[in-house]
Amino acid sequence: MSADDANDRQDEPRHPYETDESFHPLGKEWEEQMRDELEETDFDADLGMQMARDAQRLVAGEITEEEFYSSYHDDVEEEFDVDERPVFDDIENIDFDEATDESMLESLKDVDFENEDISRRKMMKKMGAGAAFLGYGAYATYENQNTDDAVPQDISGIRPAGEGDRDHRWGMVIDLERCDGCLACVTGCINENGTSTGANWMYVFTYEDEDTDQQNFLVRPCQHCSNAPCAKVCPVRARHTRENDGLVLTDYETCIGCRYCQVACPYGVNYFGWGEPDVPMEQIAHLEATPDEVQAMDPDERHDALRDVQDHVYDDRGRWVDSRPPQGVMGKCTMCPSRQDEHTPDHGPKGTVACMDACDEAGMSAIHFGDMDDPDSRPNRYLEHRKDVEESPGDKAERIAEEEEEDWADPPAPHHTTQLSTFKLLEDLNTQPNITYIGNEPGPEAEQVEGPVRYSSLSNDWGVEVVDNRKEHLDYGAQANRSNQEQEADD
Amino acid sequence: MATKESGPEDIVRPLHNTSKWWYIAFGITAAISLVWLTIYGYQLEEGLVITALSDWGSGGGVTWGLYIGAFIWWVGIAHGGIILSAAVRLFGMTKYQPVARVAELLTIAALAMAGLYILVHMGRPDRVVTSVVPSYPWTVQSSPLAWDITVITLYFVMTATYLGLTLRYDAHRLRDQIPGYLSPLYRFITIGYTKKEDQIVERMVWWLALGIIIMAPLLLHGGVIPWLFSLMGSMPGWQGAVQGPQFLSIALTSAISGVIIISFLLRRAYDWEHIITEDVFRGLTMWLGLFSLLFVWLQLQQVINGVYAAGISSETVMMATITHPVYIIAIGIMAVVLAYIFAQAIRPGVFSIPRSLMASVLVLYATLTEKILFVVEGLQYPEFSLYAGVPGGYFPSIWEMSSVVGTIAMCTLIFLVIIKIFPVVELHAVEDHHDHDESGDHGDSSHDDSGDQGTAVATDGGATGLDLGIETAGTENERATADGQTEVTDK
Repeated sequence: MSADDANDRQDEPRHPYETDESFHPLGKEWEEQMRDELEETDFDADLGMQMARDAQRLVAGEITEEEFYSSYHDDVEEEFDVDERPVFDDIENIDFDEATDESMLESLKDVDFENEDISRRKMMKKMGAGAAFLGYGAYATYENQNTDDAVPQDISGIRPAGEGDRDHRWGMVIDLERCDGCLACVTGCINENGTSTGANWMYVFTYEDEDTDQQNFLVRPCQHCSNAPCAKVCPVRARHTRENDGLVLTDYETCIGCRYCQVACPYGVNYFGWGEPDVPMEQIAHLEATPDEVQAMDPDERHDALRDVQDHVYDDRGRWVDSRPPQGVMGKCTMCPSRQDEHTPDHGPKGTVACMDACDEAGMSAIHFGDMDDPDSRPNRYLEHRKDVEESPGDKAERIAEEEEEDWADPPAPHHTTQLSTFKLLEDLNTQPNITYIGNEPGPEAEQVEGPVRYSSLSNDWGVEVVDNRKEHLDYGAQANRSNQEQEADD
Repeated sequence: MATKESGPEDIVRPLHNTSKWWYIAFGITAAISLVWLTIYGYQLEEGLVITALSDWGSGGGVTWGLYIGAFIWWVGIAHGGIILSAAVRLFGMTKYQPVARVAELLTIAALAMAGLYILVHMGRPDRVVTSVVPSYPWTVQSSPLAWDITVITLYFVMTATYLGLTLRYDAHRLRDQIPGYLSPLYRFITIGYTKKEDQIVERMVWWLALGIIIMAPLLLHGGVIPWLFSLMGSMPGWQGAVQGPQFLSIALTSAISGVIIISFLLRRAYDWEHIITEDVFRGLTMWLGLFSLLFVWLQLQQVINGVYAAGISSETVMMATITHPVYIIAIGIMAVVLAYIFAQAIRPGVFSIPRSLMASVLVLYATLTEKILFVVEGLQYPEFSLYAGVPGGYFPSIWEMSSVVGTIAMCTLIFLVIIKIFPVVELHAVEDHHDHDESGDHGDSSHDDSGDQGTAVATDGGATGLDLGIETAGTENERATADGQTEVTDK
């Protein structure tokens, strides 16, 4: 790589922060300082600068990790004289805070060039991570542009209470790099909630992205947004945000079935009660009382009564929000309010959800549910842990898999700047989702493919058929049966 | 027209004479309405599973379909109808006074159908009052659907007031000319009437008309109805500030078509060639052309914005729309209608009432299908494009399609009943008719190039007769008069 090559790249797309003077968001001066430091090493300063520029583009989404990787493969090999491209794998060993404060030179000295036991896939992930380091300044600048100011705070039932006034803000960290598409979470959810065929409140995409053949996964529960469009549009306040913990729930007693929430939700997590539910109400544990009676009870009395029967229908306010919806109203992932309200301590304790339990049982531990306000909650500690740069994500993933369940709760790393790739789904829409993903965000060209486990192969406690495509089932399964029934009735 | 004086006896004739055709029409529409109501009953029992709708997203379908498309269509007809009537009063377009009440009645009937569609679309229509009313103080702050309910109610009240006020004037003056069994009803609606109120009512009606004209673009079909869609960040196909003007142009196009069709039928049935003159049809046809042009123009804006350098999601949905046969047919129809209207503007001989009637029917077909496609395509191409891999589509089920026939039948039924209770042409229109004829001739000399209208009509009609082989306008009066006599004889 030479300066001429760099000039050839002038016509290429730029990342959003690039100016004629400098590609770095911190400006020309910073760029020159970086260059000076690189010049002092034995390595090619032009190559380093070019890579740094492209890293910014990568962070901005202008190029993919694979493009980034392939552009520099030969150059890197030539420059550093290594075969298995471990450069970016071990760049994690750098203390990044120090790097930005002191010098790249010092950091590069710590790189271990000899680590060769690494798969291509892991390698790519780490390439991305390394690039993220270089462009981290840009990322931070962008992140700061998203503020809560644009959102009305005072409309009851639409947003959770302010941070000081609420008990929790339930959410998840989902580590997509740990997901293998086994769909245990899907089954766990169906077992917990008795959802009908095709109403996969928990849904896992298997997809291929541009220029790769490998399978990626996207685990998609409801995002329980703090600025939930579904709650905002509801004409009857059936879809609402529980103020004390941010759960976005549907009051099945109020919902009129207009499906506007489903239309407004950008994530497609809603599943309507098109017909009679597959799991009858008798099979779902619930307090034998009418909703009015439950609501009329004294709160403590209600809590005890619901707890006595391990109720899975009413939440602590006495509103029917849990388990599958009845006919004619909307349902979606609830994040198990019966558990969070401690009505089902024997079955599932507070701070857990069915899909996480199933994922843990399957040995994957990709889903981490908990209070996002609490820095010591499982998701936050897991996230810190994953951001911990002293250990490569690949190694850590292997270690965690081998360790006992409790051991994810290692003390957080001292330095929080990280190369870890995280994202929230469609964050630009200002929904403020409470699910944070670790891994790569599906690009615009991502295409869903058949996963390693078929939905139709899943079995569950209710004996309810599981399908991926609900439309087909509604057209040719549910409806056909009903048409036959009607014909019989006519005869 | 010029051959015959019009008077109050003309407009009360439908109250006295009922031909066998009325009974046939009543029988058919009542039967269709009953059949469809039975189908609706079936849907209430089985749930919305009998439709071809499904959950969008992993459900592989669309959650809003024909019902919502038809809802917008009916609301559009209703909104356009009252705008037409308000414009007649506000801008002194006395030429159209004979069809003003038809437009108002169409508004009421179409609005009733739109309201019915809301119920048909809902999963739990039984809760429409119990759920919507208590939460209204909150939802009106945030839910476009609550805004929708608000303006539709407001608008229904305005239209009904408007109609009621103008009806009092007529009812008082015609009370001696109506069949005896209607007297109690007429006495009821004219309670407290004195001639002194005429002037006040006229002023009130003027202000109401002004209110309607101002509200139409801001809040009704140019505002709240399109906002149901255009404010949803989840569906790029619905977005864009053009939706307001687009909805309004479609509303006016549909409403004028509706008025042309109903006026045609009334004119034929009751020998009203001298009241609803050919001149009125020519004028309505020109207005239809103007609003059709707006419709097509705004479509062009959307298509260009969607396909040229648009974002991936916008381009995907626009490409899908413009290659969809339904869309191509709808826009093709609009092109044919526009061609006819331009041609008749340039060469008056091209005009004929049956052609305008046919154009109106085609326009209503085009606007209905365009609206349904708009709803469906929006949901089929969401921002969250990973769902594109989920197979499935939407074609309305037979039950859904029957609702269009059912509501058209019910709307016709409403008209058939109203015809037998109130004069559907204002007394003002026949009282002022003679004066208006003259002023109308002057006002419309641009396309009616002869002061001797009778001659002009005969000439034009002759051309028509040759082209279509249906009938000649020159003999139309005689034939219709003969029909009228037949009617009387039947009675």
